[in-house]
Amino acid sequence: MSIPAAKLSEVPAGTTKRVVVAGKAVLLCNVGGNVYGIEDLCTHDGGALDQGELEGTRIMCPRHGAFFDVTTGAALTPPAVMPVGTFVVRVEGDDIFVEG
Amino acid sequence: MATQLNAPESLVEDYRHGFHDSEAGYAFKSDKGLTREIVERISEMKNEPAWMRAFRLKALETFRSKPMPDWGDTERLNEINFDDIRYFVKASEGTERSWDDVPDDIKRTFDRLGIPEAERKFLSGVSAQYESEVVYHSVREDLAKDGVIFCDMDTALREHPEIVEKYLATVIPVADNKFAALNSAVWSGGSFVYVPPGVEVKSPLQAYFRINTENMGQFERTLIIADKGSKVHYIEGCTAPQFSTASLHSAVVELIAMEGASIRYTTIQNWYRNIFNLVTKRALAYKNATVEWVDGNIGSRLTMKYPSIYLMGEGARGEILSMAFAGEGQHQDAGAKIIHAAPNTTSVVTNKSVSAHGGKTTYRGLVEIFPGAVGAKTRVKCDALIMDEKSSSDTKPTMKINEQRSTVEHEASVSKIGEEQLFYAMSRGLSEADATAMIVNGFFDFFVKELPMEYAVELNRLVKLEMEGAVG
Repeated sequence: MSIPAAKLSEVPAGTTKRVVVAGKAVLLCNVGGNVYGIEDLCTHDGGALDQGELEGTRIMCPRHGAFFDVTTGAALTPPAVMPVGTFVVRVEGDDIFVEG
Repeated sequence: MATQLNAPESLVEDYRHGFHDSEAGYAFKSDKGLTREIVERISEMKNEPAWMRAFRLKALETFRSKPMPDWGDTERLNEINFDDIRYFVKASEGTERSWDDVPDDIKRTFDRLGIPEAERKFLSGVSAQYESEVVYHSVREDLAKDGVIFCDMDTALREHPEIVEKYLATVIPVADNKFAALNSAVWSGGSFVYVPPGVEVKSPLQAYFRINTENMGQFERTLIIADKGSKVHYIEGCTAPQFSTASLHSAVVELIAMEGASIRYTTIQNWYRNIFNLVTKRALAYKNATVEWVDGNIGSRLTMKYPSIYLMGEGARGEILSMAFAGEGQHQDAGAKIIHAAPNTTSVVTNKSVSAHGGKTTYRGLVEIFPGAVGAKTRVKCDALIMDEKSSSDTKPTMKINEQRSTVEHEASVSKIGEEQLFYAMSRGLSEADATAMIVNGFFDFFVKELPMEYAVELNRLVKLEMEGAVG
């Protein structure tokens, strides 16, 4: 089921936005116009990633610097080891939908 | 104001590495304090590429934004005055490949520390860092022919920038902790090792680190990559002069053992007792790879160091052997971290510590087994020996086991030297000091027997010195 999550204008390229979809915290990440959705949860310490810096396709956890690939959810550097969950994201016009 | 630390006279006499050389004739000595200008100056003096300059400046911001740790020995940690430290001190103009070309003062220092002798006897390569930069470096020709790269990190950045850029800070990211960020901003020196696939470096590579300037920070950065099926043993030692004010040593060491590779990293840390030794060491071990940390801590005022191994591929193996001795005014807060992230991975942690003359030891460890690491096995053993009523020891193990099909063993003990043991040894004609030293050396035997002979002899000698008058 597609659930409206945010407006594209709220997530400019190179930025992220935390939304809650069907009770789950999702971090929308705009990489050069393509929007990806990952769980807003660092698998190292269980904290949120939304204050982390997005560098290309990588987001850095603001607490211990672990990097995740927002296109696949893969953990790229310690101290994180496990991937974060990903969501299917669809953009129609100015609307971002997350598959719930 | 600098922290005033008055070492007891007996310790001053015992610390034979405590001599100080003249600093006249130094090539560069930065002002005290950490500023953007100093970071830019370091990068400029090293003629670094733009990406490294940006890396340093971003790390500086990260360092400033991170609070000091709120765990561990916060009282001592907060004695560090970051404005009273020189972040870059360059004793000579370059790195020499012949001892004859090293400036006389520095050469005499390393002669006294026995480095050239060790090189002749049993090493494959040597790197000697004095203050912020490596002043002497050599590697055996046959290894270079096999494609082994062993150089200081500054040279690696110049001659192998693509490898450095690819791997630097991928094991320990800049924002991992406040001191990793500090190192990333002002790093200088350290070792770079690359061992090509299938090559075995049969005798050890060694680096020696020496601080000579008061209120100085040494921030070496080491990166070791063992490619598939290769093998290497790296040894580091460190000492500093006796000063009344504190200096800071904050290194970052990253190891990558690719499939089937093996890395052993041995440290004998014997800083003078006013050095803050805050080091981040981490290794990645891929499929069927082995990483071993052999970590000895005798010196420093406060050490906080927890070598870690991430077992990333099936069949990877990790072992951490560590020993710590804390005497008067010292706190050795050391430990080990093992992360099992793949099936059939195995690990062993053995830690032994002795506290005497009011010293304090802490074992702080983590074992984590992730879901899916089926068949993971780990064994942790930590033993502490407390020599008198003024001394203390803490054991703080953490275990996060999220895979039921794994095996975990943990064993810990705290003890005193038994009266009966002492009586027995003394009844055979040993003095109390000799009997105590013998028992403590036996306690550390698991560690000493893993060292090359020269280091084993030196460690036993140091332990004996520390034990004089230690039974309370």
